[in-house]
Amino acid sequence: MGEFKVHRVRFFDYMPSAIRAMAFSSRSERLALARADGALEIFNFADNYFQEKVVPGQDSRAAETLCWVGQRLFGAGLNGDITEYDLDNLRLRYTVAAYGGPIWTVSSNSQGTLLAAGCEDGTVKMFEIMEERIQFQRNLDRQKGRIISLSWHPSGTLIAAGMMDMIRIFDAETGHATHRLLVERGIGASKSKEVVVWCVAFLSDHTIISGDSAGKVQIWDGFTGTVVKTHLVTKWDVLSLSVSQDESSLVAGTSEGTVIQFQFISTTVDQQDKEWVRTRTFKNHSHDVRALAHIDTAIVSGGMDTQLVVRPLLDKVEKNTQESALRKIAFPHRSLVCCAKKAGQLLFQFTEHLELWKLGESDGHGKPGDSLPLKKKPEKLLHLKKKGDNHICCSALSPCGGWMAYSTVSSVRLYRLQYINNDISITKMSKLPKGLVSAHRLCFSSDSSKLFASSSHSVIVISLNQLECKYLYTLKPKSGSRQPVHLLFASEDGKWLATANTDCEVHVYNLDKQKLHCTVPVHSSCPTAIAIHPVTSNLVMAHADQQIFEYSLLHKEYTEWSRKLQKQGLHSLWLQRDTPVTHITFSTRNPAHIIVHDEFMFCIIDQNLPLPESKTLLYNQMTLRSIPDQERIKHSHAFKICKNYQNLLYVTLLEDHSVVVVERPLLDIMSQLPAPVRQKMFAT
Amino acid sequence: MAKKQRGETSSASNATDSEKLAGSLSLMLESSDDEAPEEVTFEDSKTQALRNMKRALDTVKREKQLLKEKRRKRQELFQEQKKRKLLPADVLEEIDSVPSEKQKPSEAEAEEEEEEERREKQKKRSRKLPRARNLKGNYTVTTLKDRASVSYQQQAAMDFIQSRLYGPGSCRSTSNELLSLQSKKGKKKSAAVQFVKKGWASKEKAKAEKLKKRWIHKQQIPSC
Repeated sequence: MGEFKVHRVRFFDYMPSAIRAMAFSSRSERLALARADGALEIFNFADNYFQEKVVPGQDSRAAETLCWVGQRLFGAGLNGDITEYDLDNLRLRYTVAAYGGPIWTVSSNSQGTLLAAGCEDGTVKMFEIMEERIQFQRNLDRQKGRIISLSWHPSGTLIAAGMMDMIRIFDAETGHATHRLLVERGIGASKSKEVVVWCVAFLSDHTIISGDSAGKVQIWDGFTGTVVKTHLVTKWDVLSLSVSQDESSLVAGTSEGTVIQFQFISTTVDQQDKEWVRTRTFKNHSHDVRALAHIDTAIVSGGMDTQLVVRPLLDKVEKNTQESALRKIAFPHRSLVCCAKKAGQLLFQFTEHLELWKLGESDGHGKPGDSLPLKKKPEKLLHLKKKGDNHICCSALSPCGGWMAYSTVSSVRLYRLQYINNDISITKMSKLPKGLVSAHRLCFSSDSSKLFASSSHSVIVISLNQLECKYLYTLKPKSGSRQPVHLLFASEDGKWLATANTDCEVHVYNLDKQKLHCTVPVHSSCPTAIAIHPVTSNLVMAHADQQIFEYSLLHKEYTEWSRKLQKQGLHSLWLQRDTPVTHITFSTRNPAHIIVHDEFMFCIIDQNLPLPESKTLLYNQMTLRSIPDQERIKHSHAFKICKNYQNLLYVTLLEDHSVVVVERPLLDIMSQLPAPVRQKMFAT
Repeated sequence: MAKKQRGETSSASNATDSEKLAGSLSLMLESSDDEAPEEVTFEDSKTQALRNMKRALDTVKREKQLLKEKRRKRQELFQEQKKRKLLPADVLEEIDSVPSEKQKPSEAEAEEEEEEERREKQKKRSRKLPRARNLKGNYTVTTLKDRASVSYQQQAAMDFIQSRLYGPGSCRSTSNELLSLQSKKGKKKSAAVQFVKKGWASKEKAKAEKLKKRWIHKQQIPSC
């Protein structure tokens, strides 16, 4: 594998935000996820749960609830606005004030014509969904107390609304409340406290399921308005409910971090009448489960502990396959770190600010595995807060460390950094070209003379010099894809620019001729990282399904090595990894080395060595170390994997051939989370 | 009359009570059983009763006066505070070219409280009126933005969630406790995650660091 000096960076205090709401669209197999900081994320469940899109948040605008209507996504939050998201341009399409105070919930009828919003002032507001907008239609009868949760009957004639101490059933046509179901309060001290019905579900057989703050999951008869069955599942709150599409199973998420499954089955073998029976309990979260989605083969849950957990239901998937494995998604599937390789600086992107750090230095020598004494400690050079309400969506640092840029939904900002003996000065470039309004991705050329900004489906090229920045040209693909560009890479020699969009297309532009050079044959899975080799000008792509391709830009075809890799197939253990490769870089000393990393490992792919057979050991670095040199060559293969560092956010190679490893241990994140419930454990 | 007297004494202050008690005690000591009851003329008892009544009246009056004094002082304090709260004089002058009555020295304040109150109301009115009337120069009146009420409502809703999930009676512990429980139950026992609070005594630490540097510097100088 070779010996490297490693900068083990643990000062990136990245803190993901809690998951507030989620909604699954079974038509497009995409999960929309709202976080507490206002960000919206789209995961493609058909493509290895890849996080395709991120719509950055805004100050004081966080979605409390999400709702798919066909391909359109609506959200609403406590600021009282209903928002439709523009998923092509990764921004808000429009917002409509509901004028009912904070909105706790929105829900659309199964026909997709009406959107009901439950407000703080006790009204259920109906909005008509039109082609381009939504329009207020009317209020249902106003109630005392806030409307926390809503659920439509599949026929679209009735709505159940969870409130304080009760559930109301409304007739959607007349707008009158037809039933009032009183929910019992908790026992003991909480008797004096109103019970909050956090979630309701209205099934097609007129059964209503409710989850409340007294820890009960109750099953009601919607015709008579009476309780059929009460399941006391927790001492704390039941915060979320989700029913499977065929209404045979439902899950409830609690404050304890458990997810409890109920199934509609007959209790005895010969009986015909079925009832809701508590069947399974999953404990995959340490904190409150605020959001749930019951999809056909799995239960998706998320909450205050910021992790998205996909738990396959073992009766629905084949056992002992990759499908049946539990998945936890803790980190974003894009890089939040940018490295100036020449200057040895790191730029960390947070939602509301940027941090610029200088790496430490050490002149010590030691045995492999030793930690070297620091000559100079890592130093925080800059802390730059964002301007305005919008959160940062992307950022970039030039390789020389002299330029820095970031973009929000509304503006792009470019800064010039100058270092005068240990002092850093930052000047904002005032006159940016008018075409540059916002960018999904930013990238500097390797000589720091150009800035590339991908806005919606085109790339703007800007030339930089000391005094001004000038618009040069716009690069546009020939295909009519409207999807946003999520990856950008400029080659070392300044000749090529590669882009990738969420339609899985990879385009390569020739910067000398200022036009499209070629389009790589489209692979069915979305690219997660792309890079162009500095010497051979081969484009290396990693995809969400863990495939790796190498494409020769000169010959416009896959390289020999890539063909060999496809023919032989990647090792099964490699394909089973559950986090995507988020960054690719190359070794300056050995052009045959490609360095890739995901959350749990980094790997040096040596193109000169034979590819691993399906029976060989993939993770063989430890065994190689224990055998003598002559035999080592016989056993070594192309994938040299290092798992010494965990929870990686970034790995790259500096100019001086030392490795920078940015770690963020999950334990550090967990110790900063809000309070979990107090649980008694035996013998502690 | 006797009835009235009893009523008065009951409302009288403690000082007179104790005096009386002492008197009766001495009377008890002097008089013996076989002696005939002392003759008390009608005049005497009448004068005594009158004296008692007067004393009681006096105390009531004194109390009233004290109360009044207290009220007056409070009133003055309020006035002082109000003056302090006002805008600076030059701004006031600019807004208000008409001199208001509030500058009038308040002389006859120590009178009946009702009167005072009435005057206070007048003052309030007189202070409000010019502000409403006279708006010239670069002063404009705008209603507060609607945003404020929205953010207020939003905050209230967020507080509701917070109090429901994390408020009193929610039985929450800390993440740190959870982690230490996990490590206790787990196979690998390890030290607490936040073994030392990093932010603990940061000032003292900085000071110590500084002193240490200074000390090192001092040590170096004589050796050089």
